[in-house]
Amino acid sequence: MDLSALQQDAMIELINIGFGRAGAALSKLTGHRVQLEVPEIQMCPIDEMADRLRLLLDNEVATVHQIFSGPVDGDALLVLDRNSAAILKELLTSEPPLPLEIDRSAREVLTEIGNILLNACLGTFGNILKVKVSFSVPHLTLDTLESVVGSITVDRTGLRYALIVHSHFRLRESSLTGYLVIVLGVGSIEMLIRALERWDGDR
Amino acid sequence: MAPELSLDTGRLEAALTHWLSHETQRGVFVTDPQFRLVVWNQWMEIHSGRLSSDVIGRSLFELYPEAATRGIREYYEGALDGAVTVLSHAFHRFLIALPPTNGELGAAEMPQSAHIGPLSHESVIVGTVTIIDDVSDRLATEHALRKQIEAQRRARATAEQALHAKDEFLSTLSHEMRTPLNAVLGWARILLDRQTLDHALVQRALQVIERNASAQAKMIDDMLDMARIVSGKLRLEMKTLDFVSVVLSAVDVIMPSADARKIAVRTRVDPTSPLIVGDPDRLQQVVVNLLSNAVKFTDVGGAIEVHLDMSHTEACLTVKDTGRGIEAAFLPHVFERFRQGDASSTRRHGGLGLGLALVRDLVELHGGAVSAQSDGEGKGATFTVRLPTMAVTSVSADGGRATGPGPRALMGIRVLLIEDEPDSRDLSRAALTRFGAQVSAVSSSAEAVQVVLSASAATLPNVVVSDIGMPVEDGYVFIQQLRSLSPERGGRIPAVTLTGYSTPADVARALAAGYQLHLSKPVDPVALIEAVAKLSREAI
Repeated sequence: MDLSALQQDAMIELINIGFGRAGAALSKLTGHRVQLEVPEIQMCPIDEMADRLRLLLDNEVATVHQIFSGPVDGDALLVLDRNSAAILKELLTSEPPLPLEIDRSAREVLTEIGNILLNACLGTFGNILKVKVSFSVPHLTLDTLESVVGSITVDRTGLRYALIVHSHFRLRESSLTGYLVIVLGVGSIEMLIRALERWDGDR
Repeated sequence: MAPELSLDTGRLEAALTHWLSHETQRGVFVTDPQFRLVVWNQWMEIHSGRLSSDVIGRSLFELYPEAATRGIREYYEGALDGAVTVLSHAFHRFLIALPPTNGELGAAEMPQSAHIGPLSHESVIVGTVTIIDDVSDRLATEHALRKQIEAQRRARATAEQALHAKDEFLSTLSHEMRTPLNAVLGWARILLDRQTLDHALVQRALQVIERNASAQAKMIDDMLDMARIVSGKLRLEMKTLDFVSVVLSAVDVIMPSADARKIAVRTRVDPTSPLIVGDPDRLQQVVVNLLSNAVKFTDVGGAIEVHLDMSHTEACLTVKDTGRGIEAAFLPHVFERFRQGDASSTRRHGGLGLGLALVRDLVELHGGAVSAQSDGEGKGATFTVRLPTMAVTSVSADGGRATGPGPRALMGIRVLLIEDEPDSRDLSRAALTRFGAQVSAVSSSAEAVQVVLSASAATLPNVVVSDIGMPVEDGYVFIQQLRSLSPERGGRIPAVTLTGYSTPADVARALAAGYQLHLSKPVDPVALIEAVAKLSREAI
């Protein structure tokens, strides 16, 4: 299943609405102007996800993972290069740096950032689908890309798709890129695309 | 299909509820969709000071209106929509204002991280649950870690800087050590290669070799001194000393090289300069280094002036030359180690750049200060050393504390000094003379007796200062002879002995033999002056 150009544009626009809210929330929290943009999205069957992500990310990554459930269910992840994660945390707080491995406060900050993004993005999906999804408590891991991918591909049945959302953070004259990955079953994807077309038609 | 549960789920649920309420070390509370409290666990009771019975049924935002003003309410509204919100300590500091558990962190509220989520029953959201963690300990640990990492970073930077300075020094060192070595090797090879050697050539070669080997030895000495100072291993042998003679002997040391360059050295010292406390060898090194520096940077035919002035509190030595002067930009660095005004490889003046650094370190070890002044290149330079003088408190001969003797303490007093060892004799004579005494110094008991016997009433010594250990007749024999004279001939002249024999038995023997005072060698000049002044006032 591929997204048509129109569907892709509508999806980007939809996510941008969510990211606008997330950026505003982050700006308010940190006192710095934070802008979030979606330059590109990709959709692929889950078995291609690992190859696609490998092109975009280092092997050492920081991942915020939330599971959502309800009429649509799946996994939502914010994946950042380990370096980008450290830089993002630096830019958003005034604490001097510690290695992420021993800095629980920094990991908590990254968890909250991921939580805000994932909530904003899935919240907009929920809105156009007119369904309520419930989230698990977000969880941050510092691990290799391999094991992150492994943890979401393993042990699930049915055809699933991964939506990879390139996410640009702009703040304090810096910018860095993270990747939002939303893994949905084929049924949820079809619902989402139909809703998207309706939403696009309504505008 | 899930396996059949044979567990008593009712009891487990009750146990879980009990654990959440009473045992977990986190704050847990539950609200209904109107944010009225339904569960308020024991941790919340303890830290909020509000009992569960007082808060159940009341709205969270009525109890904590301040939380609503910080925008917390929207997270609760999000929870009713199914969202879980993480509140990091870094961004929020706390969820609900509770008193701090660790006062050292300096926050008015307990630092917290929290999450707020929906509570669902059969897919319907029936309320919210909040979990609060006290992160005081975590913050304290992270704070300590940051400090540790910062300290390590600073230590690393210092080490790198030191390493860099060392590298630079090593390159200067190898250059400077090689220069005299080249001359030594070069002339040695010339001598080896020649079939026949004429005397003049050999003379010249040996002079060059000797001069360069000496220069290298001096460099090595300077380096070793600097190493001792840097490692805190330099020990000063402090004694009361006469700074005038230190300065004059330093001038003697430098005279040959000044003469060789036709540089005039004019010396003006204040003869009443008081005594100072210091290490005579190290102070001489200070003056020699200043003078060598002046000779090195003064052109042939120039002049150096050495002045020693005295005030009540300090001795002030200035060394002024007509040399090439010091650039204003370099002036602040002139006493730094390994620094020379001209650091280029073609510089005219060699050396390790340690001489003036040693001057500063040694002067400071003596409690003094050194400064440099120059009107710029080609205008000469003046170096000034200030050392505290002995007007400070010292221990007097009788053990009590007293201020040092004034410069006229012995004015008009005639002293007969008997000492066979010339250096000791000169030292004692210099000290006595400086304080105004008229000194007759002799080297034996027999000469001393002659002086007394040939004196008239007007020239009879007022005080005798005598050594004990002397060849032929010792100090005991002398005092016996003196005391056998009639009072008018000098038999009652008070006497002090200076001796290396200083056990209580020695002291007793000296006093029994007829001395009034006993001073141990090496003699503290201040003690000697005070002893003579005291004896001159006493009749025996």
